[in-house]
Amino acid sequence: MQQAKEKKGFNAARFMGRVRAWFSKPANVILLIFFISLIFLTLYPLLSLLTETVTIHTGREARAAQETAGSLSLYHFRRLFATSENDYSWIQFYQPFLNTLIVSLASSVIAILFGGIVAFLVTRTNLKYKKFISAVFTFPYIMPSWTLALFWETFFKNVNIGLKTSNGIMASVFHIFMPEWFVYGAFPIALVLGLHYAPFAYILIGGILRNMDANLEEAATILKTSRMRIIWRITLPIVKPAMLSTFLLVFASSMSAYSVPVFLGSPVRYYVLSTKMKSLMDSYPGQAYIIVGVMILFGVAILLLNQKVTNSRKQFTTVTGKSGQISKINLGKANRPIAIILVVILLLVAVVPLITFALESVIIKAGDYSLSNMTLDFWIGTGLDKRLDQGDSTGILLNPKVWNALGYSLGLAVTCALVAGTCGILVGYGVAKRRGSKLASWVNSLSFFPYLMPSLAFGAIYLAMSSSIPWLRGFLLLALVGSVKYLPFASRSGVNAMLQLSGEIEEAAVITGVPWWKRMLRVIFPIQKSSFLSGYLLPMVSCMRELSLFVLLVPTSNTILTTMLMQYSEKGWAQFGNAINLLIIIVVLLVNFIVNKLTGASIDKGVGG
Amino acid sequence: MPEIKLKNVAKRFGKFVAVDNLNLDIESNAFITLLGPSGCGKTTTLRMIAGLETPTEGQISIDGKVVFDADKGINLPPNKRDVGFLFQNYALWPHMTVYQNIAFGLENLKWDKARIRARADELLKMLRIEQFEKRYPAELSGGQQQRVAIARTLAPGPKVLFMDEPLSNLDAKLRMEMRTELKRLHKDTDSTFVYVTHDQLEAMTLSTRVCIMENGVLQQYAPPLEMYNEPANLFVADFMGNPTMNFIDATAKVSGNKAEVSFGSVHGTFTGNAPIALKSEKCVLGIRPEFVKITDGEGVRATVYSTLPSGMETTVKLDVNGTPVTAVVFGGVDYAVDSQVSFTFGGKVILFDRENGGKNVAEGTMILG
Repeated sequence: MQQAKEKKGFNAARFMGRVRAWFSKPANVILLIFFISLIFLTLYPLLSLLTETVTIHTGREARAAQETAGSLSLYHFRRLFATSENDYSWIQFYQPFLNTLIVSLASSVIAILFGGIVAFLVTRTNLKYKKFISAVFTFPYIMPSWTLALFWETFFKNVNIGLKTSNGIMASVFHIFMPEWFVYGAFPIALVLGLHYAPFAYILIGGILRNMDANLEEAATILKTSRMRIIWRITLPIVKPAMLSTFLLVFASSMSAYSVPVFLGSPVRYYVLSTKMKSLMDSYPGQAYIIVGVMILFGVAILLLNQKVTNSRKQFTTVTGKSGQISKINLGKANRPIAIILVVILLLVAVVPLITFALESVIIKAGDYSLSNMTLDFWIGTGLDKRLDQGDSTGILLNPKVWNALGYSLGLAVTCALVAGTCGILVGYGVAKRRGSKLASWVNSLSFFPYLMPSLAFGAIYLAMSSSIPWLRGFLLLALVGSVKYLPFASRSGVNAMLQLSGEIEEAAVITGVPWWKRMLRVIFPIQKSSFLSGYLLPMVSCMRELSLFVLLVPTSNTILTTMLMQYSEKGWAQFGNAINLLIIIVVLLVNFIVNKLTGASIDKGVGG
Repeated sequence: MPEIKLKNVAKRFGKFVAVDNLNLDIESNAFITLLGPSGCGKTTTLRMIAGLETPTEGQISIDGKVVFDADKGINLPPNKRDVGFLFQNYALWPHMTVYQNIAFGLENLKWDKARIRARADELLKMLRIEQFEKRYPAELSGGQQQRVAIARTLAPGPKVLFMDEPLSNLDAKLRMEMRTELKRLHKDTDSTFVYVTHDQLEAMTLSTRVCIMENGVLQQYAPPLEMYNEPANLFVADFMGNPTMNFIDATAKVSGNKAEVSFGSVHGTFTGNAPIALKSEKCVLGIRPEFVKITDGEGVRATVYSTLPSGMETTVKLDVNGTPVTAVVFGGVDYAVDSQVSFTFGGKVILFDRENGGKNVAEGTMILG
């Protein structure tokens, strides 16, 4: 030690040696590159968002504020948070804020209860039809979130409520007219979001239950504990951290959800923060950006809470490796009824919507479901505009615009998946290798940050940013936004996959001098292939069905399928809209199925952890 | 046949000191064991020599070539150090067959195909795993995987072989067998082995020299038997040997190389081989269980607390007025629990200073009573 102290003071060779040693480790270089680029891609937008909240924009905003456009002011904050005149603040902010809390809370509870109970039944009992239930349960998550919302609306709507345009199946076929609270507003939004995110809970909680050492429960059985007591005192406490984690993630996702509240809330002027933000964006962008800021703050708080939950001592290691055959609870006589109820619910949630869309896409006059009112024209017909006085001239499958959009959507999805997935693996590599270092935890957090940005706001910010970068247009812009937005999915699965891999596996190759790129391609990637591929699959599927992220950025609404769907819905071309919606869902399911069969990668592997 | 030199090597992780000012000379052809409890810095030391970890301070040279020097900014990557590394959990690549595992490193060294084939065959034969050539690691037993890992490590013919607790995942019988083979391998490959373990028996039986560490600090570096018989301090004495040495808190009145020692109601005269330098009267008596002789009446009375016959030898736990003393008797002698026996100290007794870091201050004999 004495010697070391004498040598203090600057030693250039020593310093350079350290720098060289640091840069000779690929993990360090990767982390540094990602740290810098993620600052640009996530923190810079955030900064520009903050400046937007204090900038007076031209047009109505400047007139209302009675200030010159471009000047800086706290006007938006005063206006949004503290204007009692006409209940302005209440209507524009506090009410939607409260609605958001209620809806997100309710949907989290629904997701956990539904997902958790099914996870328990599938992993811990001798339930019948397990395979089917397990396979279909992830459908709602793979399908676009508006699917269920759209289904709910088309199924239950009637002429007495909402926009009072037409009757859905329930009213026209069964002559049952549902009350407004059932069709629109908090109840259906919470329910639909809850069902959409239930697979999340199913995957997270089911994963823990599946890996839980049977001895933990058997030890209690030996001590003559009753079944119910074991579930209550042993099983539940062990899955509690996973439940909390799910709760927070679903809460964050529900909060930033846009398409579901648009379909099920806006017709009755029921607003949540995301829909309010969109409606304010056109006339009062400053206030809209403040709402975005509030949503991000909420997201960050949830992320921090989640980290606290997952890092605390109460996170149990449940995989001890010596898990024997788990003794499954015998459901006895209740088995078949429970199984059938579950299957029916799943059919209602996952399959009936598809049938409804198919049905809605072939009827000529809304509300009439007789065979004589049906036609395949909206799919494969020609000369429709003359006959129907609305819509395109050909059915969607003959329409080159649809095929172009499908091609564009697929190209975009593949590009985003490749970029996000590859970056996710690299982030995972860097973070896992340098675990515990500050740089690694920064990059880890930064790469998760886009998850917290509401898609619509993310799109809006990038739109603003791109206006000053001339070459950032069209496909390039969409691909960049998509890749950054979906990086969290990919980096999560990348980090998880890398953490499972012992460092020695790579070091064994380092010793013989295998270069880094070869280690990645020949050793690391093949071993964790299915996890890594899941990291590609999730961005791909998400991108394919994304609407709110791209809606502000597409050159024309015909560019990608989802915005085309939006356009058709807005124009009231219901049949075309339903047909395109069905097309999107089929493509997404197909992509998921093919990738799953070819590579073994699956959505649940990517979400886990 | 290279030697390895470590000079003032230190490794710090933030404020935590993993290895502190380590100096070590490993001579050619040695079989060195880095021994210590978990977290003592032995694995870190090994990884620093191999180049998998970068030291914070110091200099390391292998075969006269400086491979790391903090002050000169020298830091050769692992593959330029001509070393092999055997990992604790083998680190076999699960997606490659046994042959591919062995050949992958060689392909990378740009060996031609025929030469790789010949070398792989040679190793497969040497480690008796020819029949598994086309299997994947998951299809092999622990012992077979271990052999594959060894073959892969030996393939490029490294001059130095590092092993990080390579036997800890094997069952007791297989471990015994692999120990024999590792020692044989050391002879056959004519290279320098550096071996990390927390198992003192492994260190005793395998190595030519043991380096024992605690909290990142070198405690003693000596041949195993020397370490067993002349431990530098209480920590080393406690770590080497099973059952462990008896440690009895006692007081000693020193005069020259003699001391009047007492513990409980027992008194005795200790005669050291040199003048005794105790800081105070507080000391610890250390005596190996095999030197505690159970007699028919001579010596000090004690009660049999429990007895553990293992066939070849019997471990007898004695209670001397509340002080536990362990004795090992050869042969399957069974003593009735709670019966009365007598014992003497019939071998080397070591006097440790209780205050000066448990330092070994004198070795000698002791007559009880």
